[in-house]
Amino acid sequence: MKKNYLCALLAALVALPAMSACGSSSASSSSAETSASSSSSKAESSAGNYTVKVWSNNRHDEKYMTEKVNEFNSNNSDVQIEYTIMTDDWANSIQLAYQAGTAPDVITISASDNMALNDYVNSGMFQSLSDYIKNDADFQKVTECYVHVYEGLNSIGNDIYWVPNGVRSGTRIEYNKGLVEAAGYDKIPSTLSELVKLCKDVTAKGNGSTYGVGFTSSSPFSRWLEGVGEMSGYTHGGYDYKAGKFDFSSWKPLLETASQLFKDGSVLPGSETQGVDNSRALFAQGSFAVWGNASQEARVFTEQFPCNFDWGVAELPTMTGEVKGALNCTPNFGFTMLTSSKNKDASWKVISYFSSEDFLKGYFEGGYSAPLSKYMEGKIDSSKVGRLADFALKDYEDVYPMPPAVTVEGDNYGTVFWNVILGNISADDAINDLNTRYNAALESGISNGSCKRLVIEDFDPLHPSAGTCEYLSK
Amino acid sequence: MQTKAARMASKLSFKEKLSRANSRGDFATFFMLIPAVIMLLVVSVYPFLWVFKYVCYDYNGITAYYTGFHNFERALSDTKFWMSVVHTFEYAALKIIFIIPLSLVMAVAVRQKIKGSELFRGIYFMPTIISAAVSSMVFGFIFASYNGILNAILRACGIISANINWLGDKNTAMWTVITVAIWGGFGNYLVYFMSGMSSISDDVYESAKIDGANGIQTFFRITIPMLSPMLKVILMLAITTAFKDYESILVLTQGGPFNRTQVMFLYIYQLVFGASGTSPQIGYGTVLSLIASLIVGIVTAIYLFVSRKLDDVM
Repeated sequence: MKKNYLCALLAALVALPAMSACGSSSASSSSAETSASSSSSKAESSAGNYTVKVWSNNRHDEKYMTEKVNEFNSNNSDVQIEYTIMTDDWANSIQLAYQAGTAPDVITISASDNMALNDYVNSGMFQSLSDYIKNDADFQKVTECYVHVYEGLNSIGNDIYWVPNGVRSGTRIEYNKGLVEAAGYDKIPSTLSELVKLCKDVTAKGNGSTYGVGFTSSSPFSRWLEGVGEMSGYTHGGYDYKAGKFDFSSWKPLLETASQLFKDGSVLPGSETQGVDNSRALFAQGSFAVWGNASQEARVFTEQFPCNFDWGVAELPTMTGEVKGALNCTPNFGFTMLTSSKNKDASWKVISYFSSEDFLKGYFEGGYSAPLSKYMEGKIDSSKVGRLADFALKDYEDVYPMPPAVTVEGDNYGTVFWNVILGNISADDAINDLNTRYNAALESGISNGSCKRLVIEDFDPLHPSAGTCEYLSK
Repeated sequence: MQTKAARMASKLSFKEKLSRANSRGDFATFFMLIPAVIMLLVVSVYPFLWVFKYVCYDYNGITAYYTGFHNFERALSDTKFWMSVVHTFEYAALKIIFIIPLSLVMAVAVRQKIKGSELFRGIYFMPTIISAAVSSMVFGFIFASYNGILNAILRACGIISANINWLGDKNTAMWTVITVAIWGGFGNYLVYFMSGMSSISDDVYESAKIDGANGIQTFFRITIPMLSPMLKVILMLAITTAFKDYESILVLTQGGPFNRTQVMFLYIYQLVFGASGTSPQIGYGTVLSLIASLIVGIVTAIYLFVSRKLDDVM
């Protein structure tokens, strides 16, 4: 009998932590709610002593951000910043935190995050900043926010949800000057077919030790070949803005020309299976001559994988040598407010601080991004930005309106195009397949309400952001 | 008609019933089961039920749009998924064909009481405790076409004249990921086999030795038959594990080249978490995960049916 009591007691002790864990979880969450609501009521009553939680997915600027956040916290008694860097699984982390009621007040946002604004606005997660912007003259002056309104990217209709402070240039060709010159070239040519020839010549000169071009397994098509298509006037993301439907037909010549790189054996063997940093390291050690990527490479090839040779930055070639369309650049380093913020005025104060002249001057001069506004461009000392100066925006760079965010069944166009270039499928089959699947997804999205048809009747491929957007529900 | 014991029990007072349950140890059992039941409900039953919530939706993690039975129709005509099922069977079959005999033979070898066998046991088991992501990264360097260690060795030995693109060539990619899977898993099965062999009495081997049996005869006539109940369990584990493998493939090839190493659960992972800048398709991913679970379940059931004989060998 005693033994049974002892067993029951021991079992209860074993069960207790599990039960108390569940209990304490609810207790701690309720205490967190209490704490949040008490600070909220404090904030509402006195607008003071509120800590704005800011989440960032940028690690490269950690040192500068930490320094400036500390500066803000020491100069402000009413509002403090709690700054957290969270680089992994960014979109999922924010969604989960929002659903669990533990979301931050403010998050960083960039076009490269691929967060479909439409979804976040429809779900009520993002707060419109239009009213705050209207009353903040300094913010307007520094960011030129009314110039940088990109439909579907940072605004929907009359509402602005985030304002980019910086910009990542469109893609460029980074090249090993020594290898290119040894093959008899003094610069990167202006057409893709000539570049293919250059890569073949560099490879021939390399005798199996150095190659013409290198790729990566991570979004290989969008690194630079997509930019060649955009500058050649092809449909951005395959979307025909005037017709309001997807049409990938124009891409065929580019795919066939680029596939010649593999047929000629000009590609560093196996580089298409390597991660992006592995391929960058191989470029930095001089294994191949041509690499294509945007302005982030300025820091990569000077700090992360410093090249011990002279490397140049050239504009992308086009199909004919003539620029017929805009090269898409990527607005970045913006901040948005979540609707769950308990003190929106304090959150705006923090966003405004991150977009202030003093803050941005140090940020851009530190080479963490390039300025988007002409105002900030005129304020920074360009001699301090290092190789980022080589990636200064060109006249033909612009931001395309976001094509409808459709749920495509099967591989996306980047993957399919890459398979054409690798010789796995024909360009015609790929284009027919993409046109069918993307337009089916568009029609399906329109019918279930997840997207609308975007039509820009006055669309100009050289000035894509200047058109008048019209959203149709049919 | 009630039994005598049931009639007696119904006449007991509540206090007497409690006392009786206590004397049987019912309370101890109840409390001991609670933690396991709670964990099962939270980490297994709830996620499984959650899956059903989105089968009729196009859900990207933020907003869910009702699509009726479209996800099911799509699954039936999704050639990429059904090819991934074919690749999964190919991967699992080849992995098991090599890993089970290899680990069994090595288990017999390291069980011999010879100098250094303990060290080899440790070495063989080591891959099991290394993260699949980390070891796959290392294998990425070993199998790299340019500057890869394997190609360098093969060239130095004169076996190949040109580098082989192990991970980027459709003809070699599947064999390469299987090789990594065998390396990563065989230490684990080796320990299972050693554990099974430890239950075989030394007297049996000694008798066989006296009767003049050589090593090969002992292996086929004693070790394998007496291991058969354990072999049944090990094979079942090997089958279910092989069908669910995807971590190292994700790191090594991401399912490429041209979907040649795309397996079921990798495809589902890419749909649910999004791949190459695409939005997650959680609703469709949940439908495929149900189908994939069904496939693994059917394969396991068939195996258990076919392998009933293994229990009767002893």
